[in-house]
Amino acid sequence: MLGHLKLMAVSAIALTAAVQSASARDLVIAGWGGNYQDVQREVYFRPFAADKGIGFTEATYLGGLVEAKTMADTGNVTWDLVIVEGADLQVGCDEGLFEEIDWSQVPLKDELIPEAVQPCGAGNVVIGTGLAYNRDTVGEAPTSLADFFDTVKWPGKRGLRAGPRFNLELVLMADGVAPADVYKVLSTPEGLDRAFARLAPLRKDLQFWDAGAQPVEWLAANNVAMTFSYNARITAAKNEGKPLEFLWVNPIYSIDAWAIPTGAPNRELALEFINYANDAARQAAFSTRMPYGTTNVKAPELMTPEAAAEIPAGANIETGLFFSDAFWIDNGDAIAERWNAWVTQ
Amino acid sequence: MPKLKNSQIAALTLLALPVLVYLALYLAPLASIGRLSVDNGALSQRFPALSARFGETEAPDDAAAAALLTDLKAMARTERAEAGRLFNQELGGMRSLIIDTGGAATQIEPTLSALTAFDPRWGEPAIWEVVRRNVEPITWRHFQRATGLKPSAEGGFEMSPGDDVYLRILLRTFVIGLQVTALTLLIGYPLAYAAATGSRRVQAVVLMAVLLSFWTSLLVRTTAWVVLLQTNGLLNGLLMWLNLIPEPLQLIFNRFGAVVAMTHVLLPFAILPMINVMRTIPAAQTQASRSLGAGPVESFLRVYFPQSLRGVAVGGGTVFILALGFYVTPALTGGPGDQMLSYYIADFVRRGLNWGMAAVLSIFLLVCVVALLVSGALLRRAFGWSRSSAASGGTG
Repeated sequence: MLGHLKLMAVSAIALTAAVQSASARDLVIAGWGGNYQDVQREVYFRPFAADKGIGFTEATYLGGLVEAKTMADTGNVTWDLVIVEGADLQVGCDEGLFEEIDWSQVPLKDELIPEAVQPCGAGNVVIGTGLAYNRDTVGEAPTSLADFFDTVKWPGKRGLRAGPRFNLELVLMADGVAPADVYKVLSTPEGLDRAFARLAPLRKDLQFWDAGAQPVEWLAANNVAMTFSYNARITAAKNEGKPLEFLWVNPIYSIDAWAIPTGAPNRELALEFINYANDAARQAAFSTRMPYGTTNVKAPELMTPEAAAEIPAGANIETGLFFSDAFWIDNGDAIAERWNAWVTQ
Repeated sequence: MPKLKNSQIAALTLLALPVLVYLALYLAPLASIGRLSVDNGALSQRFPALSARFGETEAPDDAAAAALLTDLKAMARTERAEAGRLFNQELGGMRSLIIDTGGAATQIEPTLSALTAFDPRWGEPAIWEVVRRNVEPITWRHFQRATGLKPSAEGGFEMSPGDDVYLRILLRTFVIGLQVTALTLLIGYPLAYAAATGSRRVQAVVLMAVLLSFWTSLLVRTTAWVVLLQTNGLLNGLLMWLNLIPEPLQLIFNRFGAVVAMTHVLLPFAILPMINVMRTIPAAQTQASRSLGAGPVESFLRVYFPQSLRGVAVGGGTVFILALGFYVTPALTGGPGDQMLSYYIADFVRRGLNWGMAAVLSIFLLVCVVALLVSGALLRRAFGWSRSSAASGGTG
């Protein structure tokens, strides 16, 4: 029995030591995986860690607030930084899941677009979402979102991001709604009916993806004839020699922001990282390899014209729609419910 | 109290550990899931004044408006945001209504008309109904949403069309489970037979094949099926090379793909118990039945097969119950119409941050499995499928 007690005491001490050493741990950064995170590692994580003489560890994030909520509820904050979508940033900020950013500590603030400066997050990457296809297998290239719905001319599966977000907006624009009116229409019961009705003939052909890397694989393997996708994943694959194309007609653009989970042990370092990641030259380097948009207004000038032509900015988003976080925060639950029911019919 | 012998103390001590582990790892989480499914504390505890007011009368009047404002003022900003999000799970737009009203609560006069003047939605009975229902400590909204049954005005329950979505998903989960179970048994039985009765070499090959697949990661095997079945995959390539099909077949992102991949992943769980049981069937019995004049088919059907049923039941039962909880494999190989209940549980946790719904759906699944096990046991008793009667049925 005494032996057992000793063993317990020793393991308790070992456990305490482990907890203590965790407080002096690496900077833990959670990102979206795939080539997106690969480029972030090269451009931001590694040089920043080398500059500071610290170690860093990466985690994969799949969206939503489940990790942030669990960390806040249990007090066991395992991430120092996470790159989140706008709607999750807003909800998480309102509920105290993310630290408020002390913008006075971020000298590069003045170079950022206003949408990037949020109470709990620093917008870092502008994401384009729209139609993508494989030019080798598609036949005639689609020229509008409406072509996505033409299964006579382009038979085959259609890839959609799982859940209603982005999809219903793209559906309405395909149905002829002007980008400026999309959320007005979608806010009415008739508008919602219209979106579901337009999507109905495609129901049997839909395939939903959860991770941004999936539509790229599906297009490359010809598993889908067309898909909605994030722009840079497609262009990055194209730059690697895959025959993929992104259509810059009625794309949706949204902002991914760096946020710090409340109580993160390395929050000072995380704040320094946020300033580091908003540097124009670094953003330009990132967007050259991963052609998402920049939030530093000086960054596009530092890119080659060819590289700058691939990002969701300027002419590319002239027919585009800025994703409304507020709309989905208020209506997301109800529409997701209807979406699930519709998919399950 | 009788004095315990040392050996008894030792036995109890040994027993204590597994019991504690069982309590901590199984029953405690189960209890917390049960609590999550109906617990509304996150809302009810934050509306003490309103809760007291509704205890007296349910009418949304000046007193109710004053109580609401009192509660909102007492909350921290982050608490109002969470309360708003929880309300929003039931009625879209409630989140911003709660946050906006809470932010201005100190400036609004504590009357219903002032509240309605601040935001006209406070004049709608539907809003007050949602508030009233959710300041109670126990909520049935997740159960109502999961079953699609809502309390009707007449006091009974009603179901609007389309509200049975989770019941249909549950049914689909069972159908896929049965399809996979049937296939694993059909494929597994001959393999198990070969492994149990074949020559030493056949036994080794079959066992090795089964165990190799058993030891390979589920994700690897699932991804392998994606590579095999996809449009430009190996199978379609082979069929087209043989000129059997003019263009690729849709073998993936549908029920076929999901069932094939799940069958392969679960096959070892059917085969291994069947091998175990088949090895206990004496070969002499089959030989005896042959020597007494039964043909190979009759001898198999009347002597061997009944005795192997116990293995079929164990293997099939294991596969079925494991299949019910599948998530990754159908997500990667099935279409939208082949996603099982676990997919929606994960979806509610991750995307919806709605742990109440996730808990209710988990309970659904658990209750169904328990009900199935119980009815299976009852059936076995009714038909007398016990070990001894199976043996006697075989020899008699």
